[in-house]
Amino acid sequence: MEMKNRMTGIEQRPICDGVNFRAIRDGRFKTVRMSVHFMLPLEKKTASANAILPFLLTRASRKYPDFTKLNEHLADLYGAVLDADVQTLGDVQILSVSASGIADRYALRGENISSDLSDLLCSVLFDPLLKDGQFPEDGFSQSKRQMIELTDSEFNDKRLYALRRCREIMCSEEPCGVGRFGAKEDIRSLERSSLTSVWDNLIRRARAEVMVLGDCDPEPVYRRFSEAFCRLGRASAVPCPTKVVKSADTVRQTVERQDVAQSKLVMGFRTETAEPDKDVPAVKLMSVLYGGTPSSKLFLNVREKLSLCYYCSSLYDPVKGILAVQSGVEQKNAGRAKDEILAQLDLVKKGGFTEEELKAARMSLCNSYRTISDSLDGLEAWYLSKTFSDPLRRPEQEAARIQAVSREDVVQAANRVTLDTVYCLTGNEVEKQ
Amino acid sequence: MNQIQTVTSERTGEMYYVVRHSSGLKIYIYPKAQNNSSYAVFGTRYGSIDNCFQVSDEPAPHRVPNGIAHYLEHKLFESKEGDAFARYAKTGASANAYTSFDMTCYLFSCTENVYDSLKILLDFVQSPYFTEQTVQKEQGIIGQEIRMYDDDPQWRVMFNLLGALYHTHPVKIDIAGTVESIAKITPQLLYQCYNTFYNLNNMVLCIVGNVEPKRVLELCDQMLKPSKPVSIRRIFEPEPETIVRSRVEQKLSVAVPLFEFGFKEQAANGRATSKQLAETDILLEALSSPASPLFRRLLDEGLINEASFGHEYFEGPGFASVIFSGESKNPDAVAEEIRAEIQKIRRGGLSAEAFKRAKNSVYGRNLAALNSTGSIANSLVSLDFAGRELFSYINAVAGADRDSVLRRLDSQLLPETSALSVVSPVQ
Repeated sequence: MEMKNRMTGIEQRPICDGVNFRAIRDGRFKTVRMSVHFMLPLEKKTASANAILPFLLTRASRKYPDFTKLNEHLADLYGAVLDADVQTLGDVQILSVSASGIADRYALRGENISSDLSDLLCSVLFDPLLKDGQFPEDGFSQSKRQMIELTDSEFNDKRLYALRRCREIMCSEEPCGVGRFGAKEDIRSLERSSLTSVWDNLIRRARAEVMVLGDCDPEPVYRRFSEAFCRLGRASAVPCPTKVVKSADTVRQTVERQDVAQSKLVMGFRTETAEPDKDVPAVKLMSVLYGGTPSSKLFLNVREKLSLCYYCSSLYDPVKGILAVQSGVEQKNAGRAKDEILAQLDLVKKGGFTEEELKAARMSLCNSYRTISDSLDGLEAWYLSKTFSDPLRRPEQEAARIQAVSREDVVQAANRVTLDTVYCLTGNEVEKQ
Repeated sequence: MNQIQTVTSERTGEMYYVVRHSSGLKIYIYPKAQNNSSYAVFGTRYGSIDNCFQVSDEPAPHRVPNGIAHYLEHKLFESKEGDAFARYAKTGASANAYTSFDMTCYLFSCTENVYDSLKILLDFVQSPYFTEQTVQKEQGIIGQEIRMYDDDPQWRVMFNLLGALYHTHPVKIDIAGTVESIAKITPQLLYQCYNTFYNLNNMVLCIVGNVEPKRVLELCDQMLKPSKPVSIRRIFEPEPETIVRSRVEQKLSVAVPLFEFGFKEQAANGRATSKQLAETDILLEALSSPASPLFRRLLDEGLINEASFGHEYFEGPGFASVIFSGESKNPDAVAEEIRAEIQKIRRGGLSAEAFKRAKNSVYGRNLAALNSTGSIANSLVSLDFAGRELFSYINAVAGADRDSVLRRLDSQLLPETSALSVVSPVQ
């Protein structure tokens, strides 16, 4: 059975139940990027064990049992990169392994790099290094230590840390509140003996997306992954629902103190609107008009008019229907910044924006959608974020939907927004009144 | 008359044009006809290190407050008619700017209205407008930008290292200056710096993407105001060969310690050549990439992690250092291992395989960078200011030989000029 659904640029077809293959062949790029993304529902009890797998798997395989030998092989392939990643999409945990390298035609000695990369990916995913049926101790303890350090480094970046904390607090009763790695204690208490069955569950039961992007013939890669997946005898894929909380009744307020010079204010809102609602484009446009560009309400007022901050911006997550506003301010100005952020939202709710502001937001958003096709990372992120979307839209089609959003749609979108959580990370010194 | 030259690379199948414009400006046009987007950079050879300078037709040098290049970058967006962001809002372009140690760049990327956006870029960068009131307003915004960096451990660990390596060179001064130094900035000082450094003979324009070279040049002919051909001398106090101190530590709100470990070099009057740079990049790759014995040892001892450990050749006017950086529970032990590995290579050399692998990796990485219009545009500008060229650098990587790479150790990675900077958690 070969079903090809060809849109300009992207080709997609199923590999087997729950496993989908997508390819964009484009000779403009000097490189090729192949990736396999497994998807499982986020749950506190499984999050850390799932999350360690991409890191563990990319350390070694039966064919490349030694970390250094594996990296020598990658270096020989002109600095190819084998990468592990864990992210969330709504309440879904995405566990990814990818390989990227230069296109065959630029190899100095005529090597077939794309074929080597697909072999390598299949080798680490489906034929890992196991001793007595378990992952080896050294790879396990390395991965565990490095995951804990990754979690710690998120604490070091205060802007990201504040954004993540606000989301955790806001979504404490939703699966995504668990975070992409789960809790640090859960990483610490991971046991090696349990991981073989977690791996087996991942490759046999998780929904998977295989992507091949760039200057490469996808056909042999498709065949390679088809064989590998079909040989597994997959069970039916685990469903991946996402819970959407439409609106907030009360406002949660949290102040956290650390030894920092600048306070970070993050405000989380519910928008009543999430994929696949037809009103999603209106909220996207509203968010850009409100705080997405240097000509937005938040930038022009909180930064330029009041000089309260260096950054103040909004970001909409259409999968969860959450809008977040973030800013870095002096501790004594946090209250003023918050009031102004809310005042600007009220203004949008009342239609207090000009035709030019609306047009500017529309052009800026469409510009960013049209830019996506110029980078492999951009394309991968776009199509990955559209895994659960039907129909699948190209970025250029999303731009067309934005064009159709009216002024009234934007006003209505703003009027559906309610404040859920206010989080402020601030210095240890208690404010002098 | 404009002089147009074509630069091609057989190895990569790429090409671009270099134009010496009659106004004095050097223009790079790098067509990528299949792209949706275009990316333009208008840059001046003027950065945070330029706090003391002399213009060729003036009798004496000037000294200006620290952070003024960056302040000027913020203020140039404003004009009598409003700010440049408001004008870009009408074309849909995504615009920004940045100030580094030795240059200031204004940029945009867009998928439509590219010539209108280019017109805005050329216009606002050539139209300064500074008043007491607008200069005053920026104090609060940049003050918060400085405070943001005070909490940024990556930023702090780097400037602490530069302070340990450099006695006098202004590379050790924070790019944005301090709240105190920027308080001294006036409209007059901004005009003085603008008129000195925003001379087209001191600037480069670069546009990469879906553009027609002819239309770009027509627009340049129309928009560029000829500048008088002056040259600017950067004045640095003599920098001793020694370092200031071998270790510096700061405590911040971090969960895991960070480090930067640097080796200061004697920076010659000129900049490193493409060949020297290619050889250094290969040497550092062989020394510390994930395929290296050093990397493996550090991992096995639990001293580094793959997400953060890396190296950089930090090189500019009057300064050059190799910097290793990352997170570690024991940065001193990492520094000791790096020193030991350098001595090992100095004594025993590199195997042919290790050399070939390192060369392949550096080649592949640079080839991959040609995917991105932004990466190309920013590279062309910084390479021009350094007197280097993109394709000859890639050729130098492909053509590097092992002996020349090892000879870099004669002047690089010398143990007596190394310093370690650590940011550790508050107790």
